[in-house]
Amino acid sequence: MAWIFRFLEEIALADIAFEAEGGSIEEVFRGATQALLESMATPSTVAETWERRIERSDVDPSALLVDWLSEVVYWKDAAGVVFRKAPLTLTHEHDVWLLRARLIGAPVDQQTQELHADVKGVTKHLYELKQTADRWMVRVVLDV
Amino acid sequence: MKLNTGMTVNRITDEIWEIPVSEKPGMLVPARIYATREILQAMDSGVFDQVTNVACLPGISRYALCMPDGHWGYGFPIGGVAAFDLQDGIISPGGVGYDINCGMRLIRTDLTLADVQPRLEQLMTELFRKVPAGVGASGFVRLSREEFRRVMTDGARWCVERGYGWHRDLARMEEGGCIEGTDPSIVTDHAIQRGINQLGTLGSGNHYLEVQVVSNERIFDPVTAAAFGIIGHEQIVVMVHCGSRGFGHQVASDYLKVFGKSMRRYGITVKDQQLACAPFRSPEGQEYFSAMNCAANTAFANRQVITHQIREAFATVFGRSAEALGMELVYDVAHNIAKVERYPEGDLVVHRKGATRAFGPGSPELPEAFRQTGQPVICGGSMETGSYLLVGTDQAVRDTFGSTMHGAGRTMSRAQAKRTVHGAQLQQQMKQRGILVKAVSMSGLAEEAGLAYKNISEVVESVDRAGITKKVAELRPIGNIKG
Repeated sequence: MAWIFRFLEEIALADIAFEAEGGSIEEVFRGATQALLESMATPSTVAETWERRIERSDVDPSALLVDWLSEVVYWKDAAGVVFRKAPLTLTHEHDVWLLRARLIGAPVDQQTQELHADVKGVTKHLYELKQTADRWMVRVVLDV
Repeated sequence: MKLNTGMTVNRITDEIWEIPVSEKPGMLVPARIYATREILQAMDSGVFDQVTNVACLPGISRYALCMPDGHWGYGFPIGGVAAFDLQDGIISPGGVGYDINCGMRLIRTDLTLADVQPRLEQLMTELFRKVPAGVGASGFVRLSREEFRRVMTDGARWCVERGYGWHRDLARMEEGGCIEGTDPSIVTDHAIQRGINQLGTLGSGNHYLEVQVVSNERIFDPVTAAAFGIIGHEQIVVMVHCGSRGFGHQVASDYLKVFGKSMRRYGITVKDQQLACAPFRSPEGQEYFSAMNCAANTAFANRQVITHQIREAFATVFGRSAEALGMELVYDVAHNIAKVERYPEGDLVVHRKGATRAFGPGSPELPEAFRQTGQPVICGGSMETGSYLLVGTDQAVRDTFGSTMHGAGRTMSRAQAKRTVHGAQLQQQMKQRGILVKAVSMSGLAEEAGLAYKNISEVVESVDRAGITKKVAELRPIGNIKG
């Protein structure tokens, strides 16, 4: 696993903040996605009975990440699901970043799933996707 | 005095503090913070930075304000109030908050603690069953898209017409539970899809439904309390805190994106991208205002459907109709909203983000029931410490654009609260102290522990002494439902 994330304690007093980092932008996308999934439910307690394939593109990877994370939040509400995993690939062609992802999970079940926060939005407060030496890092604040 | 800012903060009174325009380039008006000295000293640095950022926004009138429950937010601080000129000023989703028309509702009953205590477990179980809470919860009301558009335009009125409430409920809501000036056609499909199944759901985070007790010795103004239907004698009341759920969030996100792109065209620069805004009179500004009003109406409807479910739960448990139990609405008030209101400067668009409208006696906007008393103001504390019912004043209308505090305000991050408190243990400890808690998420429960919040009594003292609201009664929790 070439990515890590950690929740931040001293910013976003009323909400959830995390930093994700990886060896590439694609890895940062994976780390940030995992942090979001774990904010809503413990993935290992969620079955794999629901799936959506999602494609998104943007010239700006920073905007693409917000768009993608917002899409995950959207499906949580629109389909009433939480998520087990979200395998993804990110490619860069002709100046456009293309994200291909599968969002996999199950309808919310309070009896069997370990549920956490009802994330309502991905904010741009203190949001930053940046490269440091050979690593990429993003800081995200989720509104809950 | 040591503060979490390097800015100069001048004392105006013991409860009002002012940051002059010289403290940050671009400030158009001073910033004023309402707080006792102790609360001011404990405020995080975000409050000072953000309230002075707000003071830089075009068309701002008089002051950028922050209430004593203020803390760091997105763009505006929580507890932020700012009013903008309709011609030259802006409207900003960052001044309303993501959860549009997040608000408080209080329902009285004729029941006493002696009536409820023996059946508290049964009551909380029934309430937990009837009012869905937590991640991904959907409500029992099934809506077509057309019906959902009616909810956006008619708000709580739609609910009453469908039998989810009483006609007289509407007179006890801000704006009668229905704000004019909506346009559902501009609401995105994403917002509709997120909201269409959520009517009658509580959500999570700091949202809750609480059964509370009012004791005689905690009524500070018996005449006003009686006018609001609060009589003490260990009376049971029910408080609801929630908003427009995913729908309102999507509206806010959609327009932050729109405003982020259009600001350059209007020559607007902001200190923080979460303050993205548009001129109020611009097409984008008017669209957001209409979409925001759609979300505000769904929030009124959400709290109304929840009220219907609460009444049904009480009727089931106590074997008498909700009317026979005296379950009248005390009031429903928004604390995340932007509204056009008239002040000496003229018509202004007043943004309240984690701040409550607090109109005093005689305000023409108030329904007949509150013309003599002023408007009820409902402020939720932490689930361990209790909440307050207050009343609006003429001084609030004069000094703070008719605004006051909304709750206790956090002092500890969610992550830190979870490290400090264990949800299941907290639930057990609260039970031993006579507060029965039902929660979907134990980690979510830990995040809402009382130690994560300011002492609401100190916050209330600030606004009471400042005269922008007056204490009516303190409400002590005995049962709480959280997402």
